[in-house]
Amino acid sequence: MDRRKRPFRWTAYALMLLSTIAILLLCVCMGSVNIPLADTLTVIWNTLWGRPIPQGMSRSIILLVRLPRVLSVALCGVSLSLSGAAMQGLLRNPLADGSTLGVSSGASLGAILAIAFGLTIPGVSYGGAMAMAMLFAFLSLVFILTFAYRLDHSLATNTIILIGVIFTMFAHSIISLIITFSGDKVKSIMFWTMGSLAGSNYQNALALLITLVLCGALILSSSRELNALAIGEDNARYIGVDVKRVKLRILIASSALIGVCVSVGGTIGFVGLVIPHMTRMLVGPNHRRLLTASMFGGAVFLMLADLAGRVLLSPLEIPIGVITSLIGSAVFVYIFYHTRKAR
Amino acid sequence: MLSIQNLTVNHGTLTALSDVSVSIQAGQWLMIAGANGAGKSTFVHAIAQSVPYQGVIRYQRRDLKTMRPNEIAREIAFLSQRHQVNYAFTVEEVVTLGRFAHRQGFFSATDSQGERKVHAALEMTGMLALKDQSMLTLSGGEVQRTFLAQVFAQDPNLIILDEPTNHLDLKYQKQTFELIQEWITQPNRAAVSVVHDIGMARAFGTHAMLLERGKMIAYGDNRTVLSRNNLMNAYGMDVEGWMRTILAQWEA
Amino acid sequence: MKKNKALPILLTIVLLVAQFSGVAMGETNETIYLTDMKGREIVLEAPATRIVVLTPSDCEILYAIGAGETLVGRGEYCDYPADVNEIPVVQSGAQTNVEQIIALQPQVVIMSTMAQTVEQTEAMEAAGIKVVVNDAVDIEGVYQAISVIGAVTGMNAEADALIERMVNTFGEVAHKTSGESGKTIYFEVSPLQWGLWTAGSGTFMDELASMLGLTNAFADVQSWGEISQEQVLMRDPDYIVTISMYYGEGPTPVEEIVSREGWQDLKAVKNSAVINVDSNEISRPGPRLMDAVNTLYQIIYEPETLAPAA
Repeated sequence: MDRRKRPFRWTAYALMLLSTIAILLLCVCMGSVNIPLADTLTVIWNTLWGRPIPQGMSRSIILLVRLPRVLSVALCGVSLSLSGAAMQGLLRNPLADGSTLGVSSGASLGAILAIAFGLTIPGVSYGGAMAMAMLFAFLSLVFILTFAYRLDHSLATNTIILIGVIFTMFAHSIISLIITFSGDKVKSIMFWTMGSLAGSNYQNALALLITLVLCGALILSSSRELNALAIGEDNARYIGVDVKRVKLRILIASSALIGVCVSVGGTIGFVGLVIPHMTRMLVGPNHRRLLTASMFGGAVFLMLADLAGRVLLSPLEIPIGVITSLIGSAVFVYIFYHTRKAR
Repeated sequence: MLSIQNLTVNHGTLTALSDVSVSIQAGQWLMIAGANGAGKSTFVHAIAQSVPYQGVIRYQRRDLKTMRPNEIAREIAFLSQRHQVNYAFTVEEVVTLGRFAHRQGFFSATDSQGERKVHAALEMTGMLALKDQSMLTLSGGEVQRTFLAQVFAQDPNLIILDEPTNHLDLKYQKQTFELIQEWITQPNRAAVSVVHDIGMARAFGTHAMLLERGKMIAYGDNRTVLSRNNLMNAYGMDVEGWMRTILAQWEA
Repeated sequence: MKKNKALPILLTIVLLVAQFSGVAMGETNETIYLTDMKGREIVLEAPATRIVVLTPSDCEILYAIGAGETLVGRGEYCDYPADVNEIPVVQSGAQTNVEQIIALQPQVVIMSTMAQTVEQTEAMEAAGIKVVVNDAVDIEGVYQAISVIGAVTGMNAEADALIERMVNTFGEVAHKTSGESGKTIYFEVSPLQWGLWTAGSGTFMDELASMLGLTNAFADVQSWGEISQEQVLMRDPDYIVTISMYYGEGPTPVEEIVSREGWQDLKAVKNSAVINVDSNEISRPGPRLMDAVNTLYQIIYEPETLAPAA
């Protein structure tokens, strides 16, 4: 049996989990402020075992600034690459992703509408923005795909990318319009158009985790269906996949993941494009391996991108969206070139 | 096995199929012929439940509309002849997907016969040696055989073949038909296929149906249906005479 | 907002040149010769009586020297003093609309470097409108801008008086706080949620800090920049000044800062030294910098004179 066909063995999972945790620790230990490794480990160790921690700057920075941020970054990475991998399978298109399809812009628009019109959910900070971001991510996805199917039933790369670009421009023009009319709240709104996880706290990480557990379960339990859809929608129907239901399930889960990431960190482009693609080159297209491997890959990639943003120009920060877009657009061109050449 | 009553399909204002009734029994291989746009593919899509239709399609007395996709897939397999795979799945991965409908349970799906059936299907189609190859590296004929193996792995009682993309596939078409002919010899099996080539239809089919602009103009025993007169009606030309002329040119 | 490092040096040279060659020429036979802050030489037949001002700070200067009645059009962000609200609005910044400005038939347009393209300037000059560019990046620059506006309106005496008043105010504060207090101040331009931005060296806020006898905690940052949260925690400033606006819903900017996780241990938070300052006062290169300095001085050095906070 070829090793690429089966789900990973537990040893492979353990290895991926360990390296992700190692990177997580590295990202907590390194930062704009130098804290001795021993201090960092003491703080983490004592917290894990519930021992008292000496109060002070190190404790604040590690437990209240770095750890929640690194956790949020990792969870965003997992969510974005999982949704990217699922959409690329569903649409049989290696360039599909929240940012290329315009779903992220749709989610930003939703969040901005919530802020501009003061929609809130009592008790949950930014709950209104989060709910609206998810809703708008889903609506945008449905709109984009309906339109794409009408234009070109085979959902060719060019069609999807073109519609994604147009939809992004459309969403941004609406956003500009709202900014024009909302005067005072302009600044608060501008945030949703740039990606930043700098101020992430434990509530953000918790919101990401809950969404990830729910939507991740939906997507991971559909890996066989995603394999079938990635091979062909008609073929999937013929072998007994309930295509409509699976599509709806994947679309809802993907847009919820994108929505929550946008509401926590703004638009962080291209993660969902780059990671599943690189992972596919390593472990093959079978979603039983691809999905889990992409999740770990996404966490590691985004944590390292964030670390670079924090450390390179210290004390200044490079926004994480800038770093991912730089890497992402290069990979995008590479994939686009190769898929076009293959035709 | 399959009974179709008063099947009508409308594409907007256009009637693609009108009031077609046929029934397929075990051991039969029904050939569907007719000119382009006669409604052959629509007929297949209606059975596959991928277009809305009026009328009733029953499998073993059960209305297909009341069956779930995986219930249908355990009984009826469809072989499309148009494939475009974008990702580097292996042959075996594609064939194994044929077992999709047989898996029980949610997370820990079990399929006791799965591995054996997949192996047999790969062997039958001559794809066993290529099972670890990427789909992206296969020739057109190999891709076709992979999906045929998927159909065999699915272990249905009825196989429905959509029409081949073009006449250049004649060699693959013959290979496919020979494998189906072997498969159908087992008890309680039947096949339906859409054909371009009347010669193939005569060589392999037991029954035939001729469609013209959505209407069934002839249905019954293969030899009787594919008569010179019927074909003239269906294609608007003397197919048999033309084929004889062509053949004569070959022999000359 | 981001500026080239070479720019302050360049501007200093420009200012020096301007000081000796331009404004000093003053008025003879009513004809006014002046050099604006981009080194462009401008000749006016007579003091301008119809002026369009695009930048809020220049608008404030115009009123402060008593030339408010010459204003016939203002940039959309000009909102002080309250009298300006009756003046027609024109678009400014990236949206600067030459047609709107020409329609108001001004003799002079006063704007900043960011406000217009070369083509737009040429179009206005072709329409007979003199374009004066003011671009103060430090307090010296503010004095320069005041002189230029005084020259344009023929109110040189009033302009000099205003400069003197500012020099005195700042000098007085600097004198009262003389000697380094050794305390640090962190200016928060943009709150955590949108990424922390601060004002580093070469900004008004940095100048105000030294005037107040304080050290800018982020003096190593050139002009404006996004900084790491953990840097603020490590540098543990004695004072935090936020210029965020409060829109009447949710926590106030100060409440938001003191409630941030991990910020409770900061000296500034423990000593209730988190201050919200009107962003327009502290960030506009105009006469209200005096108000900003006085407010900060009072809060930092004479808190007992303030009414107890609610």
